[in-house]
Amino acid sequence: MCTHFFFFLFFFSMLSFFFMIYFVMNNLVIFFEWELISFNSISIVMSMLFDWMTLLFMMFVLLISSVVIYYSKSYMSSDLNLIRFIILVLLFVLSMILLIISPNIISILLGWDGLGLVSYCLVIYYQNLKSYNAGMLTALSNRIGDVLILMVISWMLNYGSWNYIFYLNFMKNDLIMSFISIMIIMAAMTKSAQIPFSSWLPAAMAAPTPVSALVHSSTLVTAGVYLLIRFNMLILNTFFIKILLLLSMMTMFMAGVSANYEFDLKKIIALSTLSQLGLMMSILSMGFPDLAFFHLLSHAMFKALLFMCAGVIIHMMNDIQDIRYMGGISLYLPMTSLCLNISNMALCGIPFLAGFYSKDMIMEMVSFSNLNLFVFFFYYISMGLTMFYTIRLLMYMMINDYNLLSIYNLYDEDYVMLKSMMVLLFMSVISGSFLSWMIFYYPYMIYLPFNLKMMVIYVSLMGGVMGFLISNMKIYSVNKFIMTYNLSNFLCLMWFMPSLSTYGLSYYFLNFGYNLLKIVDLGWSEFYSGQGFMIILKKYSIFYNIFQMNNFKIYLFSFVMWMIIIMYMLIINI
Amino acid sequence: MMKFLFYMIFMIPLCFMVDMFWMVQFLLMLLMFLFMNCSLMYLNNNLSYMMSFDFISFGLILLSIWICMLMLMSSENLFKINYYINFFLINIMMLLILLFLTFSVMNLFLFYLFFEGSLIPTLLLIIGWGYQPERIQAGMYLMFYTLFASLPLLMGLFYMYNELNSMMIYFLKFFNMNFIILYICMILAFLVKMPMYFVHLWLPKAHVEAPVSGSMILAGIMLKLGGYGLLRVLIFLQEINLKLNYIWLIISLMGGFYISLKCFCQVDIKSLIAYSSVCHMSIVISGILVMNYWGYFGSYIMMIGHGLCSSGMFCLANINYERLHSRSLFINKGMMNFMPSLSMWWFLLMSSNMSAPPSLNLLGEISLINSLVSWSWLSMIMLMLISFFSAGYSLYLYSYTQHGKFYQGMYSFYGGVSREYLLLFLHWLPLNMMILKVEYFMIN
Repeated sequence: MCTHFFFFLFFFSMLSFFFMIYFVMNNLVIFFEWELISFNSISIVMSMLFDWMTLLFMMFVLLISSVVIYYSKSYMSSDLNLIRFIILVLLFVLSMILLIISPNIISILLGWDGLGLVSYCLVIYYQNLKSYNAGMLTALSNRIGDVLILMVISWMLNYGSWNYIFYLNFMKNDLIMSFISIMIIMAAMTKSAQIPFSSWLPAAMAAPTPVSALVHSSTLVTAGVYLLIRFNMLILNTFFIKILLLLSMMTMFMAGVSANYEFDLKKIIALSTLSQLGLMMSILSMGFPDLAFFHLLSHAMFKALLFMCAGVIIHMMNDIQDIRYMGGISLYLPMTSLCLNISNMALCGIPFLAGFYSKDMIMEMVSFSNLNLFVFFFYYISMGLTMFYTIRLLMYMMINDYNLLSIYNLYDEDYVMLKSMMVLLFMSVISGSFLSWMIFYYPYMIYLPFNLKMMVIYVSLMGGVMGFLISNMKIYSVNKFIMTYNLSNFLCLMWFMPSLSTYGLSYYFLNFGYNLLKIVDLGWSEFYSGQGFMIILKKYSIFYNIFQMNNFKIYLFSFVMWMIIIMYMLIINI
Repeated sequence: MMKFLFYMIFMIPLCFMVDMFWMVQFLLMLLMFLFMNCSLMYLNNNLSYMMSFDFISFGLILLSIWICMLMLMSSENLFKINYYINFFLINIMMLLILLFLTFSVMNLFLFYLFFEGSLIPTLLLIIGWGYQPERIQAGMYLMFYTLFASLPLLMGLFYMYNELNSMMIYFLKFFNMNFIILYICMILAFLVKMPMYFVHLWLPKAHVEAPVSGSMILAGIMLKLGGYGLLRVLIFLQEINLKLNYIWLIISLMGGFYISLKCFCQVDIKSLIAYSSVCHMSIVISGILVMNYWGYFGSYIMMIGHGLCSSGMFCLANINYERLHSRSLFINKGMMNFMPSLSMWWFLLMSSNMSAPPSLNLLGEISLINSLVSWSWLSMIMLMLISFFSAGYSLYLYSYTQHGKFYQGMYSFYGGVSREYLLLFLHWLPLNMMILKVEYFMIN
């Protein structure tokens, strides 16, 4: 089954690739829409837009998903619910494609909500408590974005159409459009895990590794970036884009630092994904959407490969993900280590691999632009941090001694996984150059002084050296961590964001709901309607019963009363 | 109209015959297909002396027949153990006839009569086929909450008849009853029936004690009676409603948010679904009361969508209940290990409940959000919270029942049968496929 779907998706990937070339050559855009209803002079339509950008992204998504499905043939081979897994992955691909091709804010919801729900199912695929919590965090963080998109729909009602691409240009100075842009930016931040919402991305690593390769590195998390690329006309030169720039840079920096404190293999890769997402978002918010798109695509390739290598290693290590147990992997798993190293090098931007073209261009455009010192330093520090955690990871996994249990069984002959990794290996070597030739009509003209030009190399070298040093730390150097306990706690817990977005929020709402239930539903509402009414009725019927039970006494009593009244009247009259 | 009525009346003898359970169910399905053949227009059609239907009645009648048919399908257990099955069948037939009449009569007083009349079979369903002794109290809650508010409605109707000398709903639209006491009398009954926040207490109680068929009809149709009544009576209360609707809107929107928080504290599956119905209905009330086109159609779509969706969720709760004999979330755990296919249905209906595309609930929610945000942008805050927490409790219900370890004290278990899957499919299919034909709901 996996092989069939591999060929199916691969075929469509190649198809969209050739169509992309055709569309680029002829500068062609196909737009078609299907009207569901036209009502009150506004139409709800399902629209689809095919241009080179859509087709290129579709090609990448389909390619990665095809190899991921092929990879799962071996990775998930002993899983009981393989069919469910494959169906979920296919549904995920479907909703991703629906998201990519729809330029209409209602029909984009089909893909957007679908991504959230299917990724929820994929995160809770394993039946343990960790994946349960991670799934809930993921789904609810993404739901914030869904709700904001719903609100955007209600505001776009003012423009008489939800096909936003037609009027973004003309309406961008409108007041309502600025509300819309805030909500769009926030929605994109939830999907792309920018800073207030970034805790879900490392948590979502509870998913099976092929899912992490497809969903949490290359496709789902880039949906937010893609949405902002489509909306970039609207958000350019507004105030909110500066806040987005600040937040995304902080995300980039925060993730880079946290990755250095992390020992979970998948979480390190997830944090590096987060860092790259911050890079994409920030370059987007500086006004270079094409660079963001370029980095999005090349990043998708090598990050998916990185996750797939991590999956192989986790398989071999008896499902242990802690990098402290690993070491000397390169001796036992040469092919996997090759792929891992190449994808890591591509991530760092080593020349002529995929990441080099996009990342180097981004860094140079940043240096070239008119920016403040803060942006400049954050960019370069994060660049160094990438090298820092990469070298640290390599030292732990490849160079140091093998630390696992005394019995182990490492082999590098799982050719299903290796073959699927080879496809991505090829792509993560060439995709940078191929994309840079393909999607830029004119090369960027960059003119920098020598030291600024070499700055990337300086910070990378420095980061690499520091990564080497930190991985060689011996047991006594733990004391250094204890000395700065609070700081390292803050940094390695992602600035306390996971705690803040789970316990920090849910406690108040749950407590509030509980109090409401006690006070309103079981309290005042009952008191003033159900039970209270019954008590009052009971009281009065007991009271009237007293009259009815004491007939004779009351008769005599009323007789006496009447006599008193009559006598009183007689007295008055006299 | 008469032909459908006589069809149903002449099905009554069939209910007394032995082993005619599936026949009745089949004939109800046939009735629905016959009814579907009626042409659908914005204005009344099939007009007779006092019965007709426009598109709102049409959809709700279709929904009633469909839900009644599915009720029979879901209570096959009663048929198997022969638990007063003839009386059960005739009860459902009476309920269906009364609902049909409620939605199709054009006279406001007759509408009131059948509106209240449909309460009796529901009460009998709860008291007769419920499970715990508390069902008597639940029945009393159901009865007296709705009756208490609807007696003022009766007085209001008498007043109007005295003033206007007519009770024709479509005639009343030429009048503007700008009179606050009449306004409150007229809408309060429907607000309790919906139910609005603060007067919703009867609904969770009734749902918890009702058998599956009772829950299905309550969530599927009974709540929609309130919405239908509001859509009808607000025609002649437009001016006063525009002055006073903010009261109900505030209560509903705040209440929707509060209710969605309360859902997180529920440990009873049925109670959770009942609370989620209140949450959805609060948005429907708001959409009706802002009185614009989007709200009008949005509330209608939401009523249809919610009727199918929550009825399906009650079926799911019952399927678990039949196997585990408990509705507690602490016992209904990890069902994915036993019934993975049913888990898919849980997910599909849960996602429709949180208005994921492409369900009718999504379309309804979009329209209602449009209407409410165009009424006041401040309602955005509450709408966002409601929408977010709706997803929260839906996921809570889904993941708690389906994910993780199963209950260890379980003695025996059996898998799903095809009747149950068909039942869920028949809930889900119209819910998600009717979005392809939105013209049935939004008539320009």
